[in-house]
Amino acid sequence: MEKMKLKLLYSDLKPELEMIEKELEQAVDSNSHLLNDASLHLLQAGGKRIRPVFVLLAGKFGNYNIEVMKQVAVPLELIHMASLVHDDVIDDSEMRRGQPTVKAQWNNSVAMYTGDFILARALEYITKVDVPNVHDILSRTMIEVCRGEIIQIEDKYKLDQNMRDYLRRIKRKTALLISSSCELGALVSGTDEKTAAHLRRFGYFIGMSFQIIDDILDFTSTDEELGKPAGSDFIQGNITLPILFARKDKDIYQLLKESLYKELTDEERLYIVKRIRNSPAIKESKAISERYLNKALKELSYLPKSTANKTMRNIAFFIGKRKF
Amino acid sequence: MNLQQIQSKITSMEIDVLKAVQQRTLEKYTAGPSVEHARLFFLLLPFFDGKQWSGKIEVSAKTVAIVYAALHAHDQVKEDAPVTKKQQLTVLAGDFYSGIYYHMLTNLRNIPLIQRIATAVVQISEKKATFYEESIHSVADIDETVEVIETELLTAFYDYYGYDEYTPLAKLTLNYIRYAEELECLQRDGQTHVLRLLKKSLQQDLHTENWLLEKLDSLHSQIENCVNGYAFDYELKHFMLHQITPHQHRAEQLTREG
Repeated sequence: MEKMKLKLLYSDLKPELEMIEKELEQAVDSNSHLLNDASLHLLQAGGKRIRPVFVLLAGKFGNYNIEVMKQVAVPLELIHMASLVHDDVIDDSEMRRGQPTVKAQWNNSVAMYTGDFILARALEYITKVDVPNVHDILSRTMIEVCRGEIIQIEDKYKLDQNMRDYLRRIKRKTALLISSSCELGALVSGTDEKTAAHLRRFGYFIGMSFQIIDDILDFTSTDEELGKPAGSDFIQGNITLPILFARKDKDIYQLLKESLYKELTDEERLYIVKRIRNSPAIKESKAISERYLNKALKELSYLPKSTANKTMRNIAFFIGKRKF
Repeated sequence: MNLQQIQSKITSMEIDVLKAVQQRTLEKYTAGPSVEHARLFFLLLPFFDGKQWSGKIEVSAKTVAIVYAALHAHDQVKEDAPVTKKQQLTVLAGDFYSGIYYHMLTNLRNIPLIQRIATAVVQISEKKATFYEESIHSVADIDETVEVIETELLTAFYDYYGYDEYTPLAKLTLNYIRYAEELECLQRDGQTHVLRLLKKSLQQDLHTENWLLEKLDSLHSQIENCVNGYAFDYELKHFMLHQITPHQHRAEQLTREG
């Protein structure tokens, strides 16, 4: 339902997004039946396609040509997909978007090869773009995203980390790829540097806000809404913003500390989720997300008023208010 | 170039590759990048053989070695093993190395080579996926799979720089090395995808061992013939035959085993 609402916000882009969806299907077409099935399984599980959306919207601030825009929009979504299939191996996740993950449906090795295959397809695709800066930005982003994930694993179970650690992590993990989507969209459509910089910053701020909301929803949504158990982040040892705020309460801190390395029963997991949900941590986390959201909106205020600007603004508001 | 200089150049390239992908946490928790000397030898072969070479070509060669390391890292991820920090970071190591190779070639503005390497990775991933497909694999299929996995990246590099003349030798040699590893594994009672498929196709362990021994003999004879077809100097030829593919013929092995 929420995904439907989000899609309505960019319904203007429907024909272009349908074209991109077809391109994505073609891009993952493989001589291997198994890779074909695994890639399509991933593709058909859906997704918000938020990265292609931001590429297209950013392109509207320049000389928009869908044929050029899709050369960036498609590989960005493929890179995101490849990282998801590998992330599911890292997190040992059985479900994603209510569907079994590739690693659950087949095994870890098939998930590894599927991710490698999709990433290679993304690079084959992006090399059609003859703008050196595009490759510079994208390759740096890919490296930084990996660094972010490596740090995330390093920081797991560290209940005493600070907020700066968390923010640095989500910047690399999520915000950078959204920021790059906006910047690359601007770049290939030939916007001026100032516009590209505002769009890049918009993407960064909205990415930060998006990830914080995601981390909040892990505690405020139900298992059904999430398509995976609520509190999964905590179970996997990921210390997110709500936890950082909630630990100020000595009782919760003790509860978290005792639960971190334990194999939790469903009852124990739901109890932790409930304690955090009912603590001021959710409100405090939302305030931080809101701060990033406002910064994102401010960046848009420097850009010309247009339908694309309005859509970006609406998406930003939606992200701030989304329920799951 | 004498034997020592060849070895020293390979070692120097290995150090450069390791430096390029250096990352503190990955070093601490994973097995580290796999950089095999035989592959480095073949990436440097045009240089050893006096072909036109440049700093940019050498960096490109290093990126190919990095892609091999990326794919190798992902091969180390266990099929159904429980989550460990090592396993998680091994997944990320492969992705990190891929980012590094893309960035290095971007710095060289060598976008066409990125495309060729990406295509090679697509083909390799497709072949690796066949290990998990139910279809019946003939020995010829297995042979083809091994060849693509071992040589497709190197072939992409050779094709791009016009070094195709080395492709036949590289294919024979890298296949030889792979089958030698498979034989060693079989003799240790180990298990690999290739051994599993060979056993299924040949129906018995003993047949598999015989097949591998014969394959190695045949490949080595072809390597010797192939090497003689190049105008390599004595040292290079010697290095190739004795350092890269030291071979013990089947008859010798059987004698040794009594």
